Parts: sequence; C-alpha cells; structure tokens
Amino acid sequence: MSRKSHKFPGVEWIGDTGNFISIDEAKCTGCGNCLKVCLGRCFEIHNKLAAIKSLDECMECAACWYVCGEGAIDFSWPRGGTGYRSDWG
Amino acid sequence: MPQEYDVIVVGAGFAGPVAAKKCAEAGLKTLLLERSENPGEKVISGLTIPIYGFLFGPSFIRDGNPPIERPVDGIRNYVIYDITAADIDIVELRIPRPLSPVIAFGYNAYCKPFIEWEVEKAVESGAELMTSTTAVNVIKENGHIKGVITDRGEKIGARIVIDCEGSQGILAVKAGIREKYPPEAISLADTYDYECPREVIDRVFGHTLRFCWGFDEQMIAPPLGHGNGLMSWPYKNSIHWMQDQCLALDGGQVPNLVRLFDEYHENIISQLPWWRDEIAPHAVMRARMWEGFEIFVGLDGRLRNMPNVADGMILVGDAAGLESTGLCDGVPAAWFSADIAADIAIESLKTNDTSAAFLSKYDRRIKAHPIIQWTITCKGRWNLRQAQESHRRKDLKAGVNYQFGPGILTHVGTPLTRCILGAMRKDLLVMIKWVKMFMRYYYNWEHERFGGEKLSGKPNVRGVIGINLLLFNLLVIVLSPLSLVMAWLLAPLAWTVNPIIKLLRPLIELILRGWIKMEPLFTPLTNYTVNSVKQSDASIFDPGK
Repeated sequence: MSRKSHKFPGVEWIGDTGNFISIDEAKCTGCGNCLKVCLGRCFEIHNKLAAIKSLDECMECAACWYVCGEGAIDFSWPRGGTGYRSDWG
Repeated sequence: MPQEYDVIVVGAGFAGPVAAKKCAEAGLKTLLLERSENPGEKVISGLTIPIYGFLFGPSFIRDGNPPIERPVDGIRNYVIYDITAADIDIVELRIPRPLSPVIAFGYNAYCKPFIEWEVEKAVESGAELMTSTTAVNVIKENGHIKGVITDRGEKIGARIVIDCEGSQGILAVKAGIREKYPPEAISLADTYDYECPREVIDRVFGHTLRFCWGFDEQMIAPPLGHGNGLMSWPYKNSIHWMQDQCLALDGGQVPNLVRLFDEYHENIISQLPWWRDEIAPHAVMRARMWEGFEIFVGLDGRLRNMPNVADGMILVGDAAGLESTGLCDGVPAAWFSADIAADIAIESLKTNDTSAAFLSKYDRRIKAHPIIQWTITCKGRWNLRQAQESHRRKDLKAGVNYQFGPGILTHVGTPLTRCILGAMRKDLLVMIKWVKMFMRYYYNWEHERFGGEKLSGKPNVRGVIGINLLLFNLLVIVLSPLSLVMAWLLAPLAWTVNPIIKLLRPLIELILRGWIKMEPLFTPLTNYTVNSVKQSDASIFDPGK
C-alpha cells in the first residue's frame, strides 16, 4: 500500500517502515534544530523536548540526525522496500 | 548455513552496479544489495554528469546506451546584484557551436532510469540483485568485516564488502570506520521537477544549464558559499530545479530551512525575469523532493582523510566522502572509485588478503586520481563566502567565474590533461571511442533509443558523418604510434597546463567570448552536423566497429 501527499507531488510512501528515527529524551535539550531542517515536518516540541509527530512525509535525508548536536536522534533506514519512492529524482 | 558470497556490494545507486559488474565479470560470486524495491527510486538529484565521468569512467557506460535526458553544452550563470532592478551580469562557460551540442560538456539524466540501466548491465554480467533489503550493520569477527546483517536479521557472509551506501554512510559509522559528518559539511537540496514542452525548453535553455547567484539579501541563493545558487537543468520535456543550503553556517548556527526554502522558491518564481516570463507560463510542477549532499566534506582535511577501508571493507563514492566541492557532481567520482574498488577487491581475493593494510592500495589510487582529487578539494566556495563578506560586485562575479565559469579552466586543465594522456596510454584508439560516444549519445537522445539493444541498421558506412568518421578512425589508427609517444612524452608537461592557462587567461576568455559572439555564423554548420548525426545509420557509432 502506498500513500501520496498533496504537499509533495511526485513522491509515494510505502508503509510498514518501522521506527527508523528515534529520540532519546534524556539527551534532547529541546533546541529545535530538527524542526528547522525537516522539510517533511516530522517533528514537534512536546513538553519542551523534541518529539516525532509523524514520519509520514519523511524523505530519509537524515538532516535531523546531522543537526542534533547532542546525539539524541538516532537515524537508521526504513525496512527494505518501504519508505519514500519517486520516479523523478 | 548462512549464504556466502565473495563480494557484497551495498547500495545500487550510481556506484554499486559498476563495482558489482566488474567483480561478477572476474568470476566472483557477487551480491548487489539495495534497500528500495526498485533500484534508483530513492536517489534524488538535479543531474548533469560531467563529461569526464563518461570519458574516463567505466567502459561499459562509455560504449553503451544509457538513458539520458539532454546533452549539455555548458552553464549560463546569472550573477544577480539587484533582482527587482533586474541588475544582472552573465558569466558563461560553454563548449561553443559548432562543436556542441554533439560534443557535450555533460549529460542530464533522471537518476532512476539511468541506475536501472546500470543495474541491468551488472545483472547481465552475473551479479545477483537483492532488493527491498536494508543492510543495517556489518558482521564482525575479531574486528574483521565478514558480511552484513539485513533488516530481516539475516546474516549474509562475504569475503569483502564494498560499501556504496551514499552520503549518509550509516553503515560505515556503525562499523566504526568513520564518524558522522558535522552539519556544516552537509547541504540539503530542495529539488523540484517541472513538466514543460520541449519546444519551450529548446527555445529558452537550448542545451545550457542555468544557475543563479546573488548576495544573501536577494533571496535567490542560500547564504553565499554555504550551498549552491539556484540551479536549473533542462531535460527533454521537463526542467529540474534545485536550491541547496548547508545544515549549519559558520559558527554552527542551524538555519530555518523550512522557511528559507519556501521564501526563496516563492521569490525566484515571482521575480526572476526569465523564469517568471518564459518558463512559468508553461511549467507544471510534477514533483518536489529533497536529499542531503556532502559537498563540503572535501574542504575539511580531517574529514577528507577519514579512513575509506577497513579489514574486509571498502567505501566508495559518496560513502567515502567523494562528492565534488567543485562542480557539485558526485557521479564521476562514484564511478571512478567503484571501478578502482572492484580492481582492489579482485586482487585482494586472489591473494586472499582482505586486511585494511592490503586494501589501503585503494586509498592510494583514489588519492592519485587527478579528477577525484580536483573535484573534492576545489576551493571555489570560499571565494563566494568572501564575496558575501566584502559585498563587492567584482568579487561575486569573480567567484562565480572561478567555479562555474571559464575560470574553472585554470584549475581543471592539469587534471583533465593528465586523465586524457593516461587514457591514451592505456588505449591508443580511445579517441575513436570518445567521438563515437558523443555521436551515439546525441543520436540516442534524439531518437530515445536507450537500453541494451544491439545497434541495428546496415553494416555499411553511410552519409557524410560516416565518411568523416571513417577518415577520423583511419587518422587515429595511422597516428597511433605517434600518439603513444606523445602521451608518454607530454605526461610531465601536464603539470604546466594550469599555470599556462592562468597566464593566458585574459586571452583565452577573449577568444571564448568572441567565438560565442560569432556563433550565429556557425548555425548552418551546426545544423548540418546535428542533422547528419540524427539521420545517420546508427550502426556506424557502434563502439566495436
């Protein structure tokens, strides 16, 4: 089953990705860098700490992982055959 | 019993299939592992593969029929001082007519079909393809890498792993070979694809890329020197469009890219005269995507020199930090390094020594490759940062000229000459293959004749192009002993090419500008060449003939 988004045409998402991004609350300082660089708007601030809102429009660029100076964000890849896909890259 | 391979290549992008094909051809049991369901569908870029990738890269690409979107003759840079007043300078780097568009500066392509074509070639050569499978970690025994662990928890053994994972390089981080790149080394590329009728693209772009640069307050390009300007690529019936920006500026500040990219996109499509007036009325957005690129890694000596081999593992292309800081291309270095990695892997398995000490030969060959070293160490971006600071028009124009204009000749001359002479020493008839490639690629593009099919048509040579090609072949063959001597004799002199170009730069720029001004005079000859290639019997471009 694949999903599309009106915000990002030309891209499909195949579900069952698993939790390929996670946040370690003990390390997060709530700086919000992950929110600033995530074009898929996957993050939100919840109780002054970053939290994952939804990975539905994640394009697996790992920008959140790079900008997290505290190492609170762990990034791996979605399960094989899942996540975003496009014919127009 | 777990599955066992001689070689596992992780990642079927631009590099992976090149390494897998060569290993499989050498008789090694080779597995090409890919996390997406279909190869290429997770690869995003605005893509011109510069010509040096095709000239000095894997021969199966040079001699094949990969799907391309448009031959490119060069770059037209818009240096924007004031967008509202349309105060704009133009800096152009082009192969002039009548040489172009058949003699190309590079080729535009969509990533997916190109990669699918490469994968098909690797599979035809005997590599096994496994898709929908993510390599989540490596198998380590006494510190030696012995294979990979998949997302299904499966362990796949291999005598050597070639990691072509791409810029994130997570596998190498998990294997403890490299550290995660700092955010200032990574640029996020916001990419759009627009459908647009071919006649509009032919008229507005022709075969030339359009890049735009401006001081930060013009909101045309990201903070200068921390990314690229607006880049736009003409494809056959579509336009690719990209802005990119570092994840952190100097001092570690993380910009708000969500806001910045939206604001800049809006500003460009509403204010940039040629986009607004000539393209926007005909263009329909088809896709918006983004990806992180490591185009600043090479500028940092420490990052550049992180290990690219370990016991039982070689890192290739973007996974080895080889994305270009120069023209911002990653494919040529990915192809070159994949080719070298396969050579070293084959050698190491023959001698049964896959230790990091043996595999460090790979590192030495990467560091000896003139084009790879030039692309990853090009300092052009610093000029643009300084131009923003000085805020002088002269500095901005000179910075753009140095990196994406004729100024590039002052630093690419030597590496290019060294590679040309090196290729001639290896294959005396390589010039014939290059010329046939230019013509075949142009023919293929016009006729959309891509893929693996054999060239059809009468085996006899036909038409003016055929006769000229035949004469050229004869000339190259007759002169080949002389060119071999020259290729050896001139090798030491290659080092003087950059200084000579630097010295003669005003003259060279004058000649180029004059030539481009006189181009209309060459229109009949250009049309004649293009039409002759288009109407030729395709079999004359067959590399085997």
